This record gives sequence, structure tokens and C-alpha cells, in this order.
Amino acid sequence: MSHQWGMVIDLDRCTGCEACVVACHAENNISTVGEDQAAIGRAKHWIRVERYYEGEFPDVKMKFMPVLCQQCDAAPCEPVCPTYASYHTQEGLNGQVYNRCIGTRYCANACPYNVRFFNFYNPVWDKPLQLQLNPDVSVRSVGIMEKCTFCIQRIKAGEIQAEAEKREVKDGEIQPACVQSCPTRAMVFGDLNDPNSEVSRMARSSRGTKLLGELGTLPKVTYLQRDSANVREDA
Amino acid sequence: MSAKTPEQINEDLLRPLHGVSARYLVILAFFVAIVLAGFFAFGWQVNHGIGVSGLRRPVFWGFYITNFVFWIGLSHAGTLISAILRLANATWRRPVTRCAEVITVFALSIGAMFPIVHLGRPWIFFWLVPYPSERGIWPNIRSPLLWDFFAISTYLLGSGTFLLLPILPDLALVRDRSTGLRKKIYTVLAIGWRGTPRQWHRLEKAMQIMAIAVIPVAVSVHSIVSWDFAMAPVPMWHSTIFAPYFVAGAIFSGIAALIIAMALLRKFLHLEDYLLRMHFENLGKLLLVMSLLWVYFVFSERLTNWYGNEPSEMAVFWLTQTGRYSPLFWTMVVCNFIIPFPLLAIKKFRTITGCVIASIGVVIGMWLERFLIIVPSLSHKYLPYSWGTYRPTWVEITITAATFAAMAMLYMLFSKFIPIISVWELKWGQHTEEFRDPVLSRTDEEEATA
Amino acid sequence: MERRDFLKISAIGSASAALEGCGNPDHQLIRFIPEEDMLPGIATWKPSICTQCPAGCGLLVRVMQGEAEVIRHGQLGLIKMGLAKKLEGNPNHPINQGKLCPRGQTGLQVTYHPDRIRTPLQRTGPRGSGQFKEITWDDAIKQIVLQLSDLKAKDQLSDFGFLTSPLRGQRAKIVSSFVGGLHGTGWVEFALFDEQVSQFANLTTFGHAAPLTADLGQSNYVISFGADFLGTWNSPVAQSIGYGTMRKGRPGQRGKFVHVEPRLSQTAANADEWIPCKPGTEGLFALSLAHVIMRDKLRPAVQVAAIDQWSQGLPDYAPEKVSDQVGVPAATLTRIAQEAAASSPALALAGGTAIAQTNARFNTLAVNALNALLGSVGKPGGLFFSSTVTHESETAAVLRSDFGALIRQIQKMPDAVTVLFLYNANPVFATPPAAGFREAFEKIRFIASFGSFIDETSSLADLILPDHSPLESWLDDAPPSGSARAVASLGPPAMSPLHNTRAMPDVLLDIAQQLGGDLAKALPWKTYDEALKASFTEVYKTQASKDAKDADDFWQKVQEQGGWWSAEEKPLPISTGKSSGAPVKNTAPQFDGDPSQFPFHLLPYASQMWYDGSLANLPWMQEAPDPISSVMWGTWVEINTQTAASLGIVQGDLLEVASQHGMLQAPAFVTPGIAPDCVAMPIGQGHTNFTRYASNRGANPISILAPLTDSETGSLAWAATRVKISRVGKGKMVLFGGSLTETPPETQHR
Repeated sequence: MSHQWGMVIDLDRCTGCEACVVACHAENNISTVGEDQAAIGRAKHWIRVERYYEGEFPDVKMKFMPVLCQQCDAAPCEPVCPTYASYHTQEGLNGQVYNRCIGTRYCANACPYNVRFFNFYNPVWDKPLQLQLNPDVSVRSVGIMEKCTFCIQRIKAGEIQAEAEKREVKDGEIQPACVQSCPTRAMVFGDLNDPNSEVSRMARSSRGTKLLGELGTLPKVTYLQRDSANVREDA
Repeated sequence: MSAKTPEQINEDLLRPLHGVSARYLVILAFFVAIVLAGFFAFGWQVNHGIGVSGLRRPVFWGFYITNFVFWIGLSHAGTLISAILRLANATWRRPVTRCAEVITVFALSIGAMFPIVHLGRPWIFFWLVPYPSERGIWPNIRSPLLWDFFAISTYLLGSGTFLLLPILPDLALVRDRSTGLRKKIYTVLAIGWRGTPRQWHRLEKAMQIMAIAVIPVAVSVHSIVSWDFAMAPVPMWHSTIFAPYFVAGAIFSGIAALIIAMALLRKFLHLEDYLLRMHFENLGKLLLVMSLLWVYFVFSERLTNWYGNEPSEMAVFWLTQTGRYSPLFWTMVVCNFIIPFPLLAIKKFRTITGCVIASIGVVIGMWLERFLIIVPSLSHKYLPYSWGTYRPTWVEITITAATFAAMAMLYMLFSKFIPIISVWELKWGQHTEEFRDPVLSRTDEEEATA
Repeated sequence: MERRDFLKISAIGSASAALEGCGNPDHQLIRFIPEEDMLPGIATWKPSICTQCPAGCGLLVRVMQGEAEVIRHGQLGLIKMGLAKKLEGNPNHPINQGKLCPRGQTGLQVTYHPDRIRTPLQRTGPRGSGQFKEITWDDAIKQIVLQLSDLKAKDQLSDFGFLTSPLRGQRAKIVSSFVGGLHGTGWVEFALFDEQVSQFANLTTFGHAAPLTADLGQSNYVISFGADFLGTWNSPVAQSIGYGTMRKGRPGQRGKFVHVEPRLSQTAANADEWIPCKPGTEGLFALSLAHVIMRDKLRPAVQVAAIDQWSQGLPDYAPEKVSDQVGVPAATLTRIAQEAAASSPALALAGGTAIAQTNARFNTLAVNALNALLGSVGKPGGLFFSSTVTHESETAAVLRSDFGALIRQIQKMPDAVTVLFLYNANPVFATPPAAGFREAFEKIRFIASFGSFIDETSSLADLILPDHSPLESWLDDAPPSGSARAVASLGPPAMSPLHNTRAMPDVLLDIAQQLGGDLAKALPWKTYDEALKASFTEVYKTQASKDAKDADDFWQKVQEQGGWWSAEEKPLPISTGKSSGAPVKNTAPQFDGDPSQFPFHLLPYASQMWYDGSLANLPWMQEAPDPISSVMWGTWVEINTQTAASLGIVQGDLLEVASQHGMLQAPAFVTPGIAPDCVAMPIGQGHTNFTRYASNRGANPISILAPLTDSETGSLAWAATRVKISRVGKGKMVLFGGSLTETPPETQHR
């Protein structure tokens, strides 16, 4: 059975703790850029927790929203890349082929979610911090665009394992680093092609929305709105 | 202009090719230095990484793409003047065509560097070229950047041809008046032009075909450049008006550049008898028309934005109207309209000086316009948490300065080796008893005493 | 080509290829023979324990083969070894059930930190100058043994002091035995967030001097009085798991969460209602709720001896009477009380600034009493006390661990302490300078530090005996909170040591053997894992005999599993009602500084990334944006929007924050999420000496605090200092976030 990977993020569970942010850095060899580079907007947080607040003291409401690559089915970043570095995989992911990227940065401009990050310099790890690097993930050099891949290395590893054991991938068996670490279990990942998977069921929730869905990007991440009215979910 | 004999024309127009003054060398050295500084800055960038520029998330395009669009736009000068005026048989075009065509070729060459300069990995820029590669993959034809590649190379080829074809008779002229090494070089360059009726006939035919062919190419080039922006779902980029808007803006900046170039040539090469107030007035009127057209486009775009009140567009809208980028925006309006309009509309002010001041304003204003299209939109996209800013560094500023210096330097070199005014066309115009407007063809002295 | 030429060319070619290696420094390093048997590219997962905060979550460490530069037998070389690559929560561990917080994820950077101390050091220059030279382990231990023998000879062993962070498990036992074996009582535990006043209150109200475990997952109503339970308080991962369940894990049910605190913290941001109260009035708030519940008979009555007026129904705590003091409308207090009573099970938590006041004991006892009244004590959806295996009486542990004890120690220094061991504590950074710790500390004759990093305190040491990093160490833990099951965690080393370090307990054991006598008898093991095996054998015999064939089998199993935990929940029995000591009366908080001169309350808080400052040296923690401000690599002062406007302060302005005891500078973060008369600052930056990433960065709010303490327990009241604010210029603040609101004015219709 072919897979279409998707994600659900329950904003009623998310507490803004940023475990996902740091787990992603650790898993995907994202380099730290330092204070001066961070000051000019070059920090690379493949997943970030957007924080907004409304209201005046004391009636202040704050909202946390983890934003990562939405792996759009109609991704605006794909047609504009001249070298096919940004392309759509058969399993519904927006793939980023580092070797093909020549760094025009058109994809980052076209992405409405601002989830693409660029290597303005060669990454640096003060020795021996580089010993932590994950051998399953490329290290990107200067001039290359990068972004969340739904931890494709974990997806591939899970699929290879399942194939070797002559079985299907089990629901919940493959988890990107962010999903695995999230303490409140706000993030769910799985196969949207399987109507019984947890992610499919939760994506059908009446609380579900798509971020910037009106732009027609067909994102694969469904956000479940915070639920102060205590809406009952459909099973 | 009072009639000149062919010998006089030869002497006046070929004089710049003989000898260099100290002043010429000093000024040329100044521009060369800045151009070298630009190369140094680019080398610095390639060596250290594009992080030495001010580009960042979310403003991933900045000065380099501004320069790209600006210089490609400027290159529309030649097309309009040469091709359209040729087809319309406007006789006053004759001293002006080569100046214009030269601007086109040089501006295009400069502009076409920027898709390489702005790359994160410029050493593999050639992956944009469709060739059967060992990687087994062709470039992505859906990408506007690929369309840029085709459009700009076609336009460069076309305008190059358009420039070089009518140069041949003048190269032959220089050849025939030279000796020694110089003669050998110009013999090669003139590729056997003998001036036979057959060759003249072929030249005329080729010029006619090129004049017709190059106009749609030019229109398509800047439409395609505009689609680099319009094809992306970015607030205030995704607009249907962009193609005509950019083409109009390109022609606008091109004419301004032409006026400035002509004024400088007139002064430094003593071409007062050839580049008359009449020429500047005519171009000035065209510039006025383009200015009004520019205002029309900007106004209608902004009116529809404001009326539509779409939140992410309004964020960018207010940024330019009253916010962070408003000083640049209003400077642009002053430079593109407030200053040029009275200078060009009122005959009393439509002097050579007036036209030049207006043109300088337009060049500045149009550069700002490119910047203001690119940067505010990128800095304020859909998710406010990801809004940001942009500030260029010395690398981008140096390279930008180097483009202007390169233009000047190339122009100075060209006019030293090839007559900047088309000698044979001028003679031909004088020779054929074509209609000469007694009023328009007055010299400046005649004008003053009239 | 001629054959001669061909041979010439190929000869030159191969010679240059051979010579190529000579110029390259990497190729000049020796390659040691691997000490481990690993397949490259294949990961193994090893259990361990997270030590980044006191929660004690269980880890699984992903270990893969890599090549590291190490020193073996005094020589630098390369070796293929198992390297920790990624940390995940251990899915089987009862505390965190496979989940992990951002601080936990960053544990890897401790092991691979470029500024880790790699070998023993001896001070060469004046104390604090940072001049050290490298020495051998033999040399280092010899010096220690000499110092202690010297004390022994002079019969001054009571002058030996051991200053550590709060320890648990066998590590605590070893230190305790070490100090005891020297017939000393000089072991002081110090941590800024030791929550000691809470534990004392729990002893009074519930009979257990321990942190509580909150069963949030089944709760229907949670009131947090300043407790950052989703971020940094108590056992954040366990609590987050419960919170997620409370919200959306029970179909048809959703718990309500109310947060009471003058500042909108990361936890408060998730509340259905954020109710800012005046600092230090949390106890009044809680008892006011209790008053309403008792008055309207919304819940069955309970006995709480610890609170004065309780049996009369708390007449002085009616909402109308306390509303002004608390700064909350009486109608709100009444409504919250009614909601909480109607939404059983309901649970109240106290932490953060509520317990960092001079009346902290009153506040904590009040909240405990409220819990008793809400009927959640010992019930699902309420609070529990874990029966996790401990090694000593709870009271003694609590008594040892408090700021008051530290102050008493300081006051006795230097006369009373001539030789001090320092482990995992940084009081020079984390105590107010006005308390005088540094001056007293510097006068100690001989200080030995076991830490992995130079920091403000360890830089004053004479001898440094660097410990392994946690992932290279045998770890064990008895986490007191986070699960109602009995838990004994065990973490064998996940990788071999990178540097010339030694496990601190092993060093103590070595010293003990060399000193001999009672000390050697108290610590009879050669290595720490021997001691651990003995301890787990005890566990096997007393609690886990069904879980393995024999003690050896059990030891194998716990190493594979990451510890032992009971199959069923085994919370301790709780008795409320009886208490020792006089009932506590309403105590108003005291603040340092005259309000007319120092109009603002300074509210420092534990930072989600740097915790109490001990994690500021980790680059991921510096670059991760703060959840509320999105600041990276710096400090900030949170100031109310209206207050800022009235003072002419805009976002990013550099502020001077001054108390009676000092001043600091930091940029302003303007927010509606704080009371107008309060300013807040995260704790963790402002290190003067703590690796390249944290040194001379930002400001430390602790540095201007008054050394006020809770009047009864001696706990540091770190939220009781008043300050004044002035704008001194333009500051620099690195924000990851752009706009602070989703619908900024520019997007609105004009």
C-alpha cells in the first residue's frame, strides 16, 4: 500500500515548550548560527513555535502554533525551483534534494509559510560538538536551502525495516523527531491513505483547520483549534 | 541642423577615436577601480559564502535582484528607440540609435550577471542551461527563472545582432582611414564590408527583420522578469498588472538612461551639432508619456490593493505608504513624477539640462521602484511571526556601485573604438532629400536667435 | 609515449600520492584500536537518565559508531567508538513515558561541549584568575588525600565540607557516607529551585517531606498558583503528559485550567483564564476560595489544623475582604471557587514566585489546605506522594537542602570549613551577592571541584577533578515525583569517556580506600557500579523478587531496562488534619525596598531553556527562542505595555534595573502579559565565566536580589525584591519572532 504522510497538531494540547524545536535540531544536523547571525535573521529552526497574543492586560490570550513544512500537495515552492531541487515525492512529501540546489532562493520566497531556511555560510560546529551529528542525515553546505523533511530518514528506515520483515508499516511506528519528543502528545504523524490511522481520524475532527488553506497550497498538516467550548470530537 | 559635408561628418564623428586625453584616462581609471572593487566584493562573497551580503530570512532577495531587474529594464532603451523609431520612419532617430543600442547590450550584459551573482552556489550556475547532463536531469521548465534564461539570452543575441549589423559600415570607414595594426584589427572586425549595393541591400533587409523581431522579444523579456515575482504567492507580488507594469517601467528607465548618455556624449565628444535640443525634446516628450504611464500603473495597482483590503496585502501596502519603507516610496514618487513632470511638460523647462535632471531622477526613482517591489513584500508575508527586515552590506553596495561604473566604463571604451553616432546613417539622412522640419532642425544658435 | 617517460611519470605520481598524507595534520594522528565492537551505521539504543533538571526522566540514547579524537596513555589520536547521537525519552519509564523536553534533548551537548574540562587541573595563579595547569589523576588524588589526612591528623575533620546540588539515590548515599565516614556533618545541598518550602509544607499538611505528584490526566479543574508545571516546575514532562490527557485525551471531557500569577508565563499562556494577582498574595487567594467553598457548603468539610481560623470557616478570608489585597475582583474569586468545587476532581498547585516570597510557607500551606478541601488528596485526578525508593529519612534530606543551611554554612566559613568539595552547584552565580557567599567561599583554604565546566564557583577551586559527563557515567536516580509507581532508575554509561575524566563517585571511593579507617569501611566498594549493584540487590530483595530469577539476573534486567519500577501504583498513604506547630496566620509578604523609591516588583523566573542558569552553556539552549519573548542569545526585562508607554519606553530600549543591592542593564520586552507594577526577567544569563557560549552575555537578575528568606523555613525569597527602572538608551535584542500579534494594526482596515 502506498503511503501519503501527514500530520495533525492539536493546539489544545500544545504548550509551547519547544521540545520539538530542539529535538529537530538534534536529529537533523541543523547548525547553530550564533548571536550575530541570529540577529540578522539567519537562525534555522525547521520547526518553530509561533507565539501570538491578543488583548490588553489583564485580558490577555496567548496562542502557540508549531509551524513546520506543510509538505503541500500544491506546493508553491516546487514549480519555481529551476533545478528540481524542490520536488514532490510519491509519498506526498515535498522533497528537498540538497545536491541539486544552486541557491536561487526562489522557493523560500514562494513559500507562504516561511518554512525554508538557507545556509548563508558553511555550518560550523566547535569541536567536538560535531561528534553528535546524525550519520543518517546530510550536512548541508553553503548556498543550499533546507527545511523540514518529516524526518524522511526515519520514514525510509521504517519502510525498509517493514519490508525486510515482510509486513506493512504499523500506524504510529514511524515518528519524526518532533512528534516523538512532544510531551503533551500534541503531534500525531501517520499515513493519510489509511482511513483508520490515528492521523486520518484526527484530521477529520470538526476542530480541524489548515494553515493558510485559502491559498490553495493543500497542506498536509491539520491543526486542531484550541477548544475552550469543549467540542466533542467525532470518533 | 545646418548641412554638413560628408568630410565634416567623418571628421567630427571619428575624432573621438583618435588619441586619449589625460582627463579621459583619469575618469576611465576611476570607473575601472570601482569595477575592480565590485569583482573583489563578488570574489569575497564566493570565498566566504553569500552570508557576507545582507540577505536573510525572510528577505531572500535584495540588492542583487533589484539590480537584475533594473539593468534588464534599462536595456529596453535601445529597442524602443531603434526598432520602433526605425519602423515608424522617424528621421530624428539617426544620431540616437547607436547610443541606445549600446546601452541595451551593455545593460543586458550587466543585468545578466546577476542571476549568477545572487546564487548561493554560483559555481554551478550552468545547471540552468538545458544541456544533456551527466546528472540525467533537465532544468525545470515551469520555473520563471528558466524563462528568464531563455528570454535574456534571446534578447542578448537579438540586440547584439541589432547593434553589430549597422556598425559594419562604420568599422569599414575606420578601416579605410587607418594604417598599420589599427587597420589590421578593423579589417577583421569589418568582416569584409565593401559597401556594394548588394551588401547595403542585405543590411537594410536584415535591419528591417531585426527591428520587427526584437520588439516582441523585448516585451517578453521584461514580462518574464516580472513573472519572477508575479508567479509567487507573495502579498503584492501576485498581481496580474506586473507584466505591462514592468515593461512600461523598463522603457521609462531606458529612455532616461539614454537621455543621460546622450547628454554626456554631447558634452565630452563635442557633438553639439549632432545631438540637438530637438532630440532631447523628443525623447523628453517620450519620457513624459512614460512617466504618466508609470503613475497610471502604480496608482491603479495601489487603488485596487487598498480597495480590496486583503489583510496580508494591506500589511505591505501600509509599509510602503506610511511605514518603514515610506521614505523610499515617496522619494521614488518625487523622482519619477513630481520632478520630471514640470520639467518635461512645460516647454520652457524642457531644455537639455531639464531633460537630464528629470532623467537622473527617473534612474534613481526606478532603481528604488525595483527595490520597493522586492523587499517590503518579502519582509511581510502571511505569518506575522516571520516578518523581518533587510539591510544591505558593503558587498552588495560595492557591487551595485560597480554596475553603474561598469556601464560608464564600457560606454567610454566603446566610444573610443567605434563611432558612437552612426556615421553612414547620418550621411544617408543628409543625402536623401528627406523631409526636414525647418523648425525642429534648427541648431541651438538658430533656436536662440529665432 | 616512451616507456621510460611513462614509468617516470607513474613513479612521480605514486610518490606524490604517498607523500600527500604527510602534510595533512589529520593523517598524522594515530588511530587507536577500537575498544568496542560496533557495526558502522547500525544504531543501538541504551537506557540512561536525564540530569538536566531534577525531574529525573528516563532516556534512551541512540549510539552509533563514529570517530573521535581522544587521549589514550597521554597520546592524542583517533578512535572508532560508540557515540551518543540522539536522546529520546524511554517509552517504558513511568515518569516521562517516552517523551522528552527541550532541555533533555540538549544533554548531548554537555558530553561534546568544546569547553569541557578534559583532565585534572591544579590552580597556578591567584584564586579566580583562571590560571590552571594540567596534572595527572594520581597527583590530584594524592593532593586530596594529603589535605584530608592533614585534617584528620589535626582532629579537624568536622571542618570538612561538601557542597553539592540536591542528590538522590546512590550518589547521595556515597556522599553521605563519605561525609559521615569522616565524622563530619558538613554536607550542604544547594539549588536555587530546591522547592524546600513546599516540601516542608507537605510534611506539615500531608505527612511527607517530598514534592507531590499531580495526576493531571484525570483532573477536571487545575488551579496553578505560579507553578510553571508545563515548563520548569517539578516534573514538567510527566505533568505535560497529564495535561495533554486532561485537555483532549478523554472523549467528551476537557479539564479547565486557571493560572494565578502576576506574569503570563509559558504555562499561564495555556490557561483558560490567566488571573494576575499581586505578588505574595497567593495564599490569601487560595484561602479565599476555601472560604467560599466552606461558606456555601460546596464540598464536605475537612480538618486542617495548620491554618488558623480554618475550623471557623476562615471569616477573615471572604472574597470581599481580601479582594483589594489580592488585586482580583471578589466576583472572580467567588466564581473560581464555585467552579473548582463543582468540577471534581480539582487540584491546586503552588510554585514559582508564589513560593519565593517571605510568606512562602503561608502560601504553600494555604494551597495544601485548599487541596484537602477540594478532596483531591490521594485520589485520581488529584495529588499523590510517590513511594519511590529512598535511602534516608525524608526530613533529614529536606533539612539539609535549603538556602538557610547554606547561609549558616557561609556564616561559619572560613573558620568552620577549611577543606571543601564542590559538586554540581554554582552558588556564586545563583545566590544574591548580598548574601556574601563568594567572599566567604574564597576564604576556604582548599577547594576541590568535581565539575565538568569552569563556572563562577568552580573557577575559585584549587583543584579540579573533572567528572564524566552524564552519558559517560553510571547514573541512578530515585525520582520523588512524576509517577505514583515506585521507581528506581538506572543508567549504565551510554558511551566511553571522551576525555581524561573520572566518575566522581569512583574518585570518592578511591580516596576512601586510600584514607582507610572508618571512611573505607563506610565505602567498601571499588567502583560505583559495584555500589549500584548492591543497592539494586536490596531493591530486588525488598520489592522486586518476583521480577527476576536472582540478584544477578535482576542486575542484568535493570541495566537493559533503565531501572526498575513497580507494576502497580504504590503511592504513600496520606493523612491530613494533624500537624505539628502552631497554626499559621495570614502573613503578608515583605519586600525589599521602599515602594516610593523602588516602585516595581522584580519577578525572576526559571527559564525554559537555561533553567537556573546551569544550561546556558549549551548552544542549542542559547539559540532556541524563548517561548514567550522569542529572544535568542540574550536577556530581557518584561514590562507592561501601559507602564512602558508612560515611561517612554519602547521595545528594545536598554533599561537599567536597580534594587537596593545592585543594578543591571537589559533590553525591554514590552508585553501586556505582566502586571503594571511588576517587571520580570528570566534567570540564566549574566554569567561572567561559563564557557564561550554563556560568558559575558546578558544579565543575571539574581545579582541584584535582596537576601530575603521565608520567615519560617529560611528558603530564599527570590521574588521579594523591589526595583526601579530607567531607560538608558537603545538596547540590542535578538528576536526570532517578528510581529507579536497575529493581526497587527497594519493588516486592519483603516
